[in-house]
Amino acid sequence: MKQIVTLVLFIFSSLVAFSNDTQGIIRGTIIEDATGLTVIGANIMVNELGTGTTTDLDGAFALSLEPGTYTFTISYVGFEDIVIKDVEVKPAEISVLGEIRMQDSALQLKEVVISARAVRTTEAALVTIKRKTPAMIDGISSSLMKLTGDGSAVDAAQRVTGVSIEGGKYVYVRGLGDRYSKTTLNGVDIPGLDPDRNTIQMDIFPTSLLNNIIVSKNFTAEMPADFTGGLINLETKDFPEDRIMSASVSFGYNPSMNLNNEFLTYQGSSTDWLGFDNGARGLPTGARAQNIPIAFSSQYSADQVNAFVSDFSPVLGTETSTSFLDYSASFSFGNQKKIGGADSNVDKGTLGYMFSLSYKNDYTQYDDYFNGEYQRFAQSDAYELRYANTQDGTVSEQSTVIGALAVLAYKKKYSKIRLTAMRLQNGEKRAGQFNIDNSGEAVGQSGYLGIRDNLEYNQRSLSNILLNGVHTFGNNGWELDWRVSPTLSTSDDPDIRVAGLSVGGPKGYQINAGEVGNPQRVWRSLSETNIVGKADLTKKYKFKNNDAKLKFGSSYSYKVRDYEILTYNWVNAGGQLQFEEYDLGFLMSPENIYPNGLNVYYQSGNGNPNPNAYNSYATNMAFYVSNEAELLPNLNVIVGLRGENFTQFHTGGSGDNFLDNEKVLDAFDLFPSANLVYAVTENMNFRMAYSKTIARPSFKELSFAQIIDPLSNRIFNGSLFDSYSDWDGNLVETRINNFDVRWELFQNRGQMFSVSGFYKQFDNPIELVRIPESQTSADFQPRNVGDGELYGVEFEVRKSFEFISAALKNLSFNTNITFVESRIDMTDREFNSRLNYERVGESVSNTRQMAGQSPCVVNFGLVYNNPDAGLDAGLFYNVKGKTLEIVSSGLYPDVYLNSFNSLNFSINKKVGKDQNTTIDLKASNLLNDSVERVFSSFNAADQYFTRYSPGISFSLGLSHKF
Amino acid sequence: MNFRIFAATAIVFSMLFTACSSDDEVITPVDPVDGTEDIVVTENISTDTEWCDNVYVLGGRIAVEAGATLTICPGTIVKGQAGTGVNATVLLIARGATIMAEGTADAPIIFTSVADNISLDNVAAGEFASPNLDPDFNGLWGGVIVLGNATISASNESDEDVSEVQIEGIPSSDANGLYGGNNDEDNSGVMTYISIRHGGANIGEGNEINGLTLGGVGSGTVVSNIEVVANQDDGIEWFGGTVNVSNAVVWNVGDDAIDTDQAWAGTLDNFVVVTPSGNCFELDGPEGTYVARHTIQNGTVRAIFDGRVIGGSLINTDSNTPVDMKNVHFLAPLDDAGEFLTITDDKFDSATFENVTFDTDESNLAAIMEQGGAIPAGISAGGSSAADISKFQWTWAHIAGGLDF
Repeated sequence: MKQIVTLVLFIFSSLVAFSNDTQGIIRGTIIEDATGLTVIGANIMVNELGTGTTTDLDGAFALSLEPGTYTFTISYVGFEDIVIKDVEVKPAEISVLGEIRMQDSALQLKEVVISARAVRTTEAALVTIKRKTPAMIDGISSSLMKLTGDGSAVDAAQRVTGVSIEGGKYVYVRGLGDRYSKTTLNGVDIPGLDPDRNTIQMDIFPTSLLNNIIVSKNFTAEMPADFTGGLINLETKDFPEDRIMSASVSFGYNPSMNLNNEFLTYQGSSTDWLGFDNGARGLPTGARAQNIPIAFSSQYSADQVNAFVSDFSPVLGTETSTSFLDYSASFSFGNQKKIGGADSNVDKGTLGYMFSLSYKNDYTQYDDYFNGEYQRFAQSDAYELRYANTQDGTVSEQSTVIGALAVLAYKKKYSKIRLTAMRLQNGEKRAGQFNIDNSGEAVGQSGYLGIRDNLEYNQRSLSNILLNGVHTFGNNGWELDWRVSPTLSTSDDPDIRVAGLSVGGPKGYQINAGEVGNPQRVWRSLSETNIVGKADLTKKYKFKNNDAKLKFGSSYSYKVRDYEILTYNWVNAGGQLQFEEYDLGFLMSPENIYPNGLNVYYQSGNGNPNPNAYNSYATNMAFYVSNEAELLPNLNVIVGLRGENFTQFHTGGSGDNFLDNEKVLDAFDLFPSANLVYAVTENMNFRMAYSKTIARPSFKELSFAQIIDPLSNRIFNGSLFDSYSDWDGNLVETRINNFDVRWELFQNRGQMFSVSGFYKQFDNPIELVRIPESQTSADFQPRNVGDGELYGVEFEVRKSFEFISAALKNLSFNTNITFVESRIDMTDREFNSRLNYERVGESVSNTRQMAGQSPCVVNFGLVYNNPDAGLDAGLFYNVKGKTLEIVSSGLYPDVYLNSFNSLNFSINKKVGKDQNTTIDLKASNLLNDSVERVFSSFNAADQYFTRYSPGISFSLGLSHKF
Repeated sequence: MNFRIFAATAIVFSMLFTACSSDDEVITPVDPVDGTEDIVVTENISTDTEWCDNVYVLGGRIAVEAGATLTICPGTIVKGQAGTGVNATVLLIARGATIMAEGTADAPIIFTSVADNISLDNVAAGEFASPNLDPDFNGLWGGVIVLGNATISASNESDEDVSEVQIEGIPSSDANGLYGGNNDEDNSGVMTYISIRHGGANIGEGNEINGLTLGGVGSGTVVSNIEVVANQDDGIEWFGGTVNVSNAVVWNVGDDAIDTDQAWAGTLDNFVVVTPSGNCFELDGPEGTYVARHTIQNGTVRAIFDGRVIGGSLINTDSNTPVDMKNVHFLAPLDDAGEFLTITDDKFDSATFENVTFDTDESNLAAIMEQGGAIPAGISAGGSSAADISKFQWTWAHIAGGLDF
């Protein structure tokens, strides 16, 4: 902490030192209006002085001038001149003109005269990029994130067309499941933080560190080929044009969650508030030994066993406390400085830096959390479902996120190098207590009542460095962009505790191994290191007098993952235990630890080698070439070809099924893509695209791993196990053909209208299949299933109400709607199992929708934006259609995620001198909807699989620019 | 100033990447107390193997694979290490493999936990009881599983018949756990004078390992003179198959004593059950369309009330249980307080009884039937112990006085 204070003072003093200069600085960026691209080498002339400068590779310029008022003239070959009047230079201050848009000289006027008024970054810039980009993209900029008040990337991303959120963490595009989405950071691969997922948990990225989120929905050659629904790129903040120093704080309140004196928690560690465990939940010393100290052993003395068992935390149950308000704070500062002094005539370059720190602490409690398992009856005319197991109770979670970002950049006229470092740290402490009702009437159930406490802590971290260089080699049309980016990510769940008692027996409660079971403790850890290097070369040239572009490049990525689960079972030697009250503290009290009282000790659930552990690495060597040219008048054609050589190695398994660093995947694929953009008019495009993409099996899927989920007891089996009658152990990649069309109309001030259609065809899609040979446990394995396809249509409108009345020019709405129809050919096994459970009057088909594929996604926003009054307000609605989540296994029907109607309101008002202070107010889930997943069967009432209510929450924030 | 910014940035970076890094724990092994010269077995057995004159320690789930024969000499002790889940220690005789474990009344073969201090010298001296473990300590290791190629009556969750399935307690990824076939005369070898103790490790919620599991074992296999002591789950459980078992003692198990499933088609002859928990008999019907009957005869059963926390039944059948029970005597079916263990299912559509007697008054008999059902033909009050106790002199249960009725 002291280091940070010193550092802050240090940089602060450098800012103050700079402000001693008397000259003022004017900065601006010149962009081509039609394309949104920056203009390199444009002339900026100060009319009063007859001197000037030219723009650099970012289209940026900076001029140091004596205080006064000036007029600038900006010129560039082929573009009309722009004259900017009333440019005011203040002593020792930096003024930013913002983006100055140059238009083709073939159009209208010879000269455009505007007054100097800073135009802030808005959605308009993003719309311009979107208009001319070869790929079909959508995105959200930092300014809209600010308006909507979204705190994390996941909240912000759901405003993007066709995007939906799963589990509050994962972003899906066009409703395609996790397998078909991909997330990159600053254009390079980053490791996920969840061993079971392809995409990264986006809730840990604070929006204050992000510049924008861009979602690409179709593939072009320079992108990685392993996405199908969408490629989500998070771009962190670059260095600022202006000196910035800002701080913000906010507080949030949810009546059912905050200031709640029945908030469930448990004794954690003293550093939980910093998002990590300080070792209090660490693995007891010696717990990794193949033979841990056990009772009655000749190998270990009673004292050794007692010391070992006592090393486990005695806490097995929840306790209540009072939750505080949600709160967050962030601070950032940055500046840029010309090296050698602002007035130096020698170009020694410009140095920019930025540092941003954010902290967030949230409390969540669901008092009505419900989990259920429901079955169908064997009789085909018994429609209603019956319960096999239900759990209802309370789940509480306290989440802490710390984010830090540092950017250092150096720019000369035709070169820029930037170094970005980011660290995210997130800790989530969960405590839950459930009443369990297991029905002996249901198939495969033993029938009991019980109470169970779950204690969990998940800590995740991500450390990323990006070194990026851009070089334009003068103004000859060549540009080189290279990136090197190592990332280290970890996700640890130290000491997950699951403990409970069965209700029954002569005293009221008992431990019964066949019912609620013995207490269990789990340590789960994942670490992944990723290193990516890539280089892209672009050559701009003229084809039939029109701009054309040739791009080629290559990339190499290496990622390695270590994964391990260690489990320990609480045991007592001797008979069944009975208790008069529900008190879990008794189970680990010192007087009951071996050789005393109940003779409590732990048994290890970890084999040697541990089938719940693996190490995998993968390399991907890629190259591509693509060309963009206007082959026919107004028809821009972009064709590209990418080659990827992918290899994957695995170490893990046990017994005969053990791999020692063996190659499990080695494939070279070519991915062609073609994009046609026909400019019907200057503001209207018609696009068509084709591409081939791939979805590869994950590390875990191509393995002999055998992973037991401690909370659900479901067992995951790697695909390499081949001892089954209907599976040969040969899991192959899914290859996808993608077809897209889009018509789009752009209007001024960021207004637009678009209609898109898409079709995707899947060869060998992978789904998680229940293993039929397994009778007494729920075993699953990833397998290739029948081929699939989907098609869909998307609409997007951004429109100002100005068309009704000029008085409404500040009011606008934006809406986007996606409809998707998907189809998977069922395997014979699935079809037969559905036929066996066909109800009277039902007609079972041999196709179904793809799991995880939403049939529709709707986003709607009503936005009021008045820059003069400094007032922004928005009402946002988001919903997705009932989505198949878990495919039926016959006995258990399909599970669907019901629509969640999310309605949020936010308003912010800028006040004070220069509108430097912003107050914002936000209200979420105004419709007070609940999250519901349901079992759905023909002619039967839906039954809950999970259900909980987030409630309505409010937040109030204050931010100030110094 | 440039230098200062660079230096500051370097400090920021170093903080970013050093802060919060979790320390890798250094594992210091606990010094083990000096043990005996035991042979630890950690690999599956794929060639013919003999275990003689030593204590063999199961270091995990050890399968005798198809084609291999494991011969265990009389007087040998096999000890399972402690473990749960996939780490549970099990001796698994896979389909197509052979076990030749021919103990004798003077030199039985003992399967127990590594926590048990019993030695070869103890056995040689005729001291078959554990020197340090109480006879109700359970769940210390897994158990013994024998699998074969005989017919089973099983179905998948879609109600379709299947001829082979995975045995409970073994992950489905281990192909050695498959059982069932069409060879009813299948021969998995010989198991005589075997005592299996302190097993039944927990492998998941509601999922444990039986003392002796017989899945699809054929009639060519010899299983006789078997004792199961203090298993956390069931004593002996059959999943289909045609194997006969004779002279069996099940003592102090945590769940059901005798458990049958999937249309076992054999005979259990001359047995004693003494159990403080669970059902004495948990007899289920076929799960597929194949139906076959089994016989349970000449046995004495004693349900212990003292300390019993789970209800349990004397006989728990389903309406389709294909059992013929003959000459079975239940000692003391009610405790001092006059409470009964009951017979759970009164729909004995498929079960038959002959000379099944309860050591109680005629007037109490009706109360033994749960739900007040009619007393089936062949069940009566009175009678006397029906098992031939003389066959069990070698067992720990007998030595400890557990069979003094």
